[in-house]
Formats: sequence, structure tokens, C-alpha cells
Amino acid sequence: MIIDDELILINLVAETRDRALSVLGNRLFEEGYVTADFVRSVMEREKVYPTGLPTSPYGLAIPHTDSDKVIKPKIAIATLKDPVKFLSMSNLEEEVDVKIIFMLALKDPLEQLEVLQKLTGIFQDSDAVTRIANVESSEEFYQLLVSLDSM
Amino acid sequence: MKKLLIMCGTGVATSTVVTGRVKEWLEKEGLKDKVTLYQSKVADEINRIQDYDIVVSTTIVPDHVKEHVIDGLPLLTGMGIDEMYEKIKSKIKN
Repeated sequence: MIIDDELILINLVAETRDRALSVLGNRLFEEGYVTADFVRSVMEREKVYPTGLPTSPYGLAIPHTDSDKVIKPKIAIATLKDPVKFLSMSNLEEEVDVKIIFMLALKDPLEQLEVLQKLTGIFQDSDAVTRIANVESSEEFYQLLVSLDSM
Repeated sequence: MKKLLIMCGTGVATSTVVTGRVKEWLEKEGLKDKVTLYQSKVADEINRIQDYDIVVSTTIVPDHVKEHVIDGLPLLTGMGIDEMYEKIKSKIKN
């Protein structure tokens, strides 16, 4: 599975975007899924090509970086206790209050196309976004993904 | 045949999803045979962007090419997607 239980962080407390990115990225690193420079690379890329998505009713972000820093493809996920600011993917002047982060560690995106499309399908469904933002445990999150999947 | 470029920051994650969506849409609209799809990253394309008839970007592009680029964010967020498809369609038919 591309999404592991230990890669889901619920109600993460992070004051800043970089803090949230580093907690999530380090989780991937500790599990051996990415190289040591993955986190830094994600942060740097975020400055140049931000990944905030102004979805409704909560903003999302999909931070990622080049595939040479990925050892095994995984997606790490955090719901934040309080939103942090990301910049919008298509507008450097627009800030997005992000409540859910999907950190994508991908090697060959075509292999993961199905799950990526599923995820972006969820982004477009404001009910699903609300439910994800409000889950209380990683098990609940997992269940939710499965149930959305069968929709 | 129109050349349609889809680009994002790394040419990996986002543009792959978006390309998949656009491909489905082209098939549904019966426009598949009128368009060749290209997928890439901004840094590689920015100097030859005029080579393409239609450019959709999910990420930020420099001001001097903005005129030539359609904002592809609706393909991820769903907001404003019909208008975005209309823009692509009118460029295909022109």
C-alpha cells in the first residue's frame, strides 16, 4: 500500500508550514522511504513552486519534489490542528489556509496514477474534504479513504 | 493537429494527474484526434512555449508568458473547471 498507518498524522500541531513539512518528511525518512535530503528539497521547492490548493471548505497542500529523492513510493498525510499558510499553486500572491497535507513521495507517477486521481477526486468533493479534516484517528482516516474509494 | 502542453513544477506528480484528466475529457468531447498531448515541467519549456498551440499549467509561470498559458488549477480543485475547459476547447477549434 502506498499509504501506511504510520504515515498518517492526525491533528498535528505545527506553527508553520516548514514545521509541518519537516515533521511529515522526517517520518518518511525515518521509515526509509526517502533520502536524507528529501525534506530540505521539498521545502526549497515549495518556495519556488508552492503546492497549496484553495479547496473548499479547507485548503489542502500536496508538497513533493523530484523522484530521485524517493526510495519507495509513499504518501504521508497530516491533518493539522490549526491551519498553516501555504502559497497557492498557481498564484504566488494568494495564501491558502491549509488543514490537510498530502506529502507525495513518488517515483514513477504513472504507477501511482490511480491513487493520485482518487486523491484529487476527493479534493473536489467538499463533503469528503470536511470529513477528512475532522477525523480523530488514523484508523478512522483509513476507513474513510476506503469508503470514499468505493463511492 | 494542435499541440497541447501540460506542465507543472517538477513534471512528475501534478501534471500526470492533470494529463490523465485532460485525456479523458478530450475523448469524451471527441477531440482526441485533433490534439497531441505533451507533459513536462515549467523550467524545461519556458523558452519554447510558443511552439505549442495550447499550454495548461498547474503552477506559476513568469509574467511574460502568462498570456499564452491557461491556469490548470481547476483540474485539481474542481472550481472553475467548465470555464477552463471552454478556454481549451476554443483554442482547439481556432
